Amino acid sequence: FSPITYSDHLSPPSNLSLTRDVCLQYSPPEELNGSYGFEIKEMRKLLDGHNVEERDWLYGLMMQSNLFNRKERGGKIFVSPDYNQTMEQQREVTMKRIWYLLQKGVFKGWLTETGPDAEQKKFALYEVCGIYDYSIIAKLGVHFLLWGNAVKFFGTKRHDDKWLKDTEDYVVKGCLVMTELGHGSNVKGIETVTTYDPRTGEFVINTPCESAQKYWIGEAANYATHAIVISQLNINGTNQGIHVFIAQIRDQDGNICPNIRIADCGHKIGLNGVGNGRIWFDNLRIPRDYLLNSVANVSSDGQYVSAIKNPDQRFGAFLAPLTAGRVTISSSAIYSAKLGLAVAIRYSLSRRAFSAVDNGPEVLLLDYPSHQRRLLPLLAKTTPETNKAIHVVSSGFKAVLTWHNMRTLQECREACGGQSVKTENRVGHLKGDYDVQTTFEGDNNVLMQQVSKALFAEYVSCKKRNKPFKGLGLEHMNSSRPVLPTQLTSSTLRCSQFQKNVFSLRERDLLERYTSEVAQLQGRGESREFSFLLNHQLSEDLSRAFTEKAILQTFLDAEAKIRAGSIKDVLGLVRSMYALICLEEDPSLLRYGYLSRDNVGDVRREVSKLCGELRPHALALVTSFGIPDAFLGPIAFNWVDVNAWSSV
Amino acid sequence: MASHSQVLVEEKSSVRILTLNRPKQLNALSFHMDPSVKLVILKGQGRAFCAGGDVSAVVHDIRQGNWRLGANFFSDEYMLNYVMATYSKAQISILDGIVMGGGAGVSVHGRFRIATENTVFAMPETALGLFPDVGASYFLSRLPGFFGEYVGLTGARLDGAEMLACGLATHFVPSARLTALEADLSRVDSTDPTFASTILDGYTQHPHLKQQSAYHRQVLDVIDKCFSGRTVEEIMCALEREASHEADDWILATIGALKKASPASLKISLKSIREGRLQGVGQCLIREYRMVCHVMKGEISNDFVEGCRAILIDKDKKPKWEPWRLEDMKDSMVEHYFKRVEGCEDLKLPARKNLPASAIAKL
Repeated sequence: FSPITYSDHLSPPSNLSLTRDVCLQYSPPEELNGSYGFEIKEMRKLLDGHNVEERDWLYGLMMQSNLFNRKERGGKIFVSPDYNQTMEQQREVTMKRIWYLLQKGVFKGWLTETGPDAEQKKFALYEVCGIYDYSIIAKLGVHFLLWGNAVKFFGTKRHDDKWLKDTEDYVVKGCLVMTELGHGSNVKGIETVTTYDPRTGEFVINTPCESAQKYWIGEAANYATHAIVISQLNINGTNQGIHVFIAQIRDQDGNICPNIRIADCGHKIGLNGVGNGRIWFDNLRIPRDYLLNSVANVSSDGQYVSAIKNPDQRFGAFLAPLTAGRVTISSSAIYSAKLGLAVAIRYSLSRRAFSAVDNGPEVLLLDYPSHQRRLLPLLAKTTPETNKAIHVVSSGFKAVLTWHNMRTLQECREACGGQSVKTENRVGHLKGDYDVQTTFEGDNNVLMQQVSKALFAEYVSCKKRNKPFKGLGLEHMNSSRPVLPTQLTSSTLRCSQFQKNVFSLRERDLLERYTSEVAQLQGRGESREFSFLLNHQLSEDLSRAFTEKAILQTFLDAEAKIRAGSIKDVLGLVRSMYALICLEEDPSLLRYGYLSRDNVGDVRREVSKLCGELRPHALALVTSFGIPDAFLGPIAFNWVDVNAWSSV
Repeated sequence: MASHSQVLVEEKSSVRILTLNRPKQLNALSFHMDPSVKLVILKGQGRAFCAGGDVSAVVHDIRQGNWRLGANFFSDEYMLNYVMATYSKAQISILDGIVMGGGAGVSVHGRFRIATENTVFAMPETALGLFPDVGASYFLSRLPGFFGEYVGLTGARLDGAEMLACGLATHFVPSARLTALEADLSRVDSTDPTFASTILDGYTQHPHLKQQSAYHRQVLDVIDKCFSGRTVEEIMCALEREASHEADDWILATIGALKKASPASLKISLKSIREGRLQGVGQCLIREYRMVCHVMKGEISNDFVEGCRAILIDKDKKPKWEPWRLEDMKDSMVEHYFKRVEGCEDLKLPARKNLPASAIAKL
């Protein structure tokens, strides 16, 4: 090393001033943001939809208890699970948290109260639990929404009386036993077999081979005492298809019942607060009245009786109540995305990198157009209302929204740089916890296929009977094909009628193409199923178009209900961002010529414009999510102080 | 509003000692702007630190149809509370005596609070038809478990040891040592709070809680169990259920305090604390200002006037609350207190720049 370099190091040149002014200071996002462009409370009521006070009460319950791993960081309180604990410890503490919430009355009425108010309150509290830890709602979902609802819907009064109160009080701990090692999405193909023994009046459940072992059964690894078992039912040598039974798998002391074997699925990439089990039935005998018999029954002498003659329809009836789970998955995906975005956007409003001019101050991340482009469209996609979806729509919503969540979490993780690699900053860990959403409760790709199959069936049926389209949002197909303007100005692009027209045109055209392609293949002798498979790409495009249009409609419905003012204006911006980013990201528009190359360029430019216009509202929007500071990561606040030596 | 004789000011190099002669605090503002001031010590003359705001004067204004004068008092008070909560300089309050209501507002938001064996703390507003204000929805909600709800709803009195245990006080120094402590603190010549902190840590003691203290584990468990209830009714039910198992003095006193308080006050206080738990100190004060204006306007309930009459003026201790029963205070009536006040602007908090980390954390 040259002597000059050394001497510089030992006695710095006098013109170097090492004053505090050189040091980075943290400024909270609120400081530079100025006043909010709309009333946060009002926007929150809109986004949460209902039960805001109950949600805040539950947030408070979790914040004030040491069970929820309360930590002080930089003068603020944070609560988030300690993922550094072992799998066994995480399972134990998650169970303790649920018992705490039970004692506080959080689950009161979840099964015994009926009516839309009770349902809404339940879902609100459920969503808030998920913001703390997805493992909690994985457990609650299995116990209340799967076991509890199965008993409620499949059973009759006899079953209700016995099980519902005990379930609500966690005297019994339920689980749903459906998936097998060899069969997940294709429930009809499961291999567990149940027969009936008329001599003893018992059903006999059996696992005939290793591929038939039940797998991924939430709660079964440690705690579940009772199970809803989905099995083939064989009566007098005839397979009557899928049926639903109750079986006790553990006694009140936690010992596994005889003729049942349980193994652990082991450590997972996330969700280690819930233990998943594998179950083998070795000719387990259960009483005859353990068949949940609202759809079918077996008499004491072994005669099979069902009100629904068609086994496929019966199968549909069995699965119908379970689709309620889809809606909660969609909403928890949305809340997870909200969490990620709240952290990433708050961070991007306090973190700076690179100066635009020499010796100038470094620029805030969210002032970069590229950073806006990464986060703000995702923010727009995270605001729709998801709790009103009906079945077909719920499948599409589940697929689109869970994929959206995973994409949002990844983007947010990257947008926070190295800091989001720290578990305590929440964003990164959410990826591991929520990834399973894309494949459970129906693999997303399979679900999307089901959406287009349903649309196909509806289309074919209406055309055959020469009826107008009614339902599934297809009514637009009764009118003439929308004509899109060739010139797309900014005001056209932001016009709700234009947006509806493009989405309708896309859906209509893809549906017609799909049905025509399938019909062509069938004409050549291919089976319908195989024709569907060969057209899987069109099917995916169609399902996505259908779902995005349904989501756009939820935006429009919400907007219509609000009176003119700042909230309506901002929602309009968000809705336009949603519509245009969907169009920008979909190759179908160019591929099938709904828009010209110039048009697509206009769309892209409009998205950038909208980014600039949404930028001043970003902080207000994420604040409207209503997620308390304690549930975000420390980088959403004073990340300098949190890392100070004095905080070590 | 205040005259200098109500606050005695001593200068000891870069330390200012403010002694409150009457429960008015506004002079404190001017000294904190002075850059040569490094540290502020606040204490009270006589047997009180500060017994609170002069609510009788406010009630007088309301009775004359002048609720806006009262509003001015509260807005000045809450502004001061905000400035204190967000100071860059350390404020040390020496709570050698009664500290209640507004007195808590000018001390708890400061960085250091010194309790003594003479300290008596309470937030007694619900008995007066008011609600714990002065940013209490911020600091009470941040006490451990649901102790904040207990203190705010029942107006329970805490001594110095209890204040230290729950975090309302940061240090405990016997009154005999206060003169020496003040002398040592007066020599501090830096805005860095660690200097004051080191001195205080040297003086502080860890007194035992008295035997019948509410801060013992068994009582705290009951407090957490009952005061975590979603509504005031649920809290009452839970307490009565506990009392049916074991009716000790503490639980009977607690139930009694709730029964004597204004039902309207109980409900708005609970909602205030619950909302405050999720808000920064500035938002809490803005919300409390709206609430106190609604209280003074008396559109839903006139309990504030009635409470001050019964407790402070006529002193018959028999307030006629309206509504009288908890059930008659409906949710829609409670919500009204949280809405924007017609004809009255929201509290405009001063912009604060270059806040220290400890203040930023409170926003």
